[in-house]
Amino acid sequence: MAQGEKQRSVLRISLDILNAVRDEGDAKPTHILYKANLSHERLVKYLDDLTTKGLIEMQQDGENRTYRLTPKGVSFIIEMRRAESFVQGFGLNI
Amino acid sequence: MISPMPYSALVTFFLNLLSAFVALLTSYYAYKVNRLVSNSVLRAISIGFMLLGLGLLVDAGTSIISGRTLVESFSDKVLTLFASATYLTLQMIAYLVIAVGYARAAYGGRIRPAMPVALAGSALVGLYSYSVLSYLVAFVLLAFVVFQGMLLRSGEKSRMSGMVLLGFILILAAHFILLVSVLLLGADLFLIGTMVQFLGFLSLLVFVIGSEVVGPG
Repeated sequence: MAQGEKQRSVLRISLDILNAVRDEGDAKPTHILYKANLSHERLVKYLDDLTTKGLIEMQQDGENRTYRLTPKGVSFIIEMRRAESFVQGFGLNI
Repeated sequence: MISPMPYSALVTFFLNLLSAFVALLTSYYAYKVNRLVSNSVLRAISIGFMLLGLGLLVDAGTSIISGRTLVESFSDKVLTLFASATYLTLQMIAYLVIAVGYARAAYGGRIRPAMPVALAGSALVGLYSYSVLSYLVAFVLLAFVVFQGMLLRSGEKSRMSGMVLLGFILILAAHFILLVSVLLLGADLFLIGTMVQFLGFLSLLVFVIGSEVVGPG
């Protein structure tokens, strides 16, 4: 059960980050940090993870670094919305 | 000699067949979503509805056999008894799995399902007693699932979230009617119970279809 809760919370945080990136378009790390309510250290870890999974991509322009959703990331958000709707029907949360 | 199938057996057959389809569809979606979110309750729901779907298919087959032949031959009697016992057992295990899934979500891993052993032993006391017991156990388990479902309903609800609870409440009501029909040996009541159960599965079908058409927010 504890493991399940941990996995869910990781999924929830990942989804919050993806939603923040989607809302911003080209999202700066500070904006994502604020919207996903994470520490800088944890945010870096999650952004690396989501980039590795191909859900977001990084754009580097000199000093500025932004993130945007990949088509795979958009599909993932849609799929997770369906999953969330199903799960909530049974009185649960992701 | 094969007798014409009574109307009630035909209706029971189709309602159980459709209910089985919905149960298996719900099981498939729960399995699919569980692969994404990895939730122990969803796993239980997936397994529970799969067993329920298989049980309803067996029950649909039983209504065809008993309806067509009026259970005249000994082999048909044995087959019908075996199929009924299989359906009732699968149904009890299915609701037990779902109830334990909800219980584990509500109370952690402290729940130990000791009930199947007791239920297996009760199969020896005859199909009638077994029917009464199984509908009673299914009713109690469903009541527990409905209660936990109400408790666990999150603050943020999807558009269709009430349909699942409505479905479980209708299936619960159906099991009360089915229990009474077994006690009174009322064929009409049994048909009504099957119809109410079908409405419960119909509510689940609306939910499953509804949750599939959720678009990007």
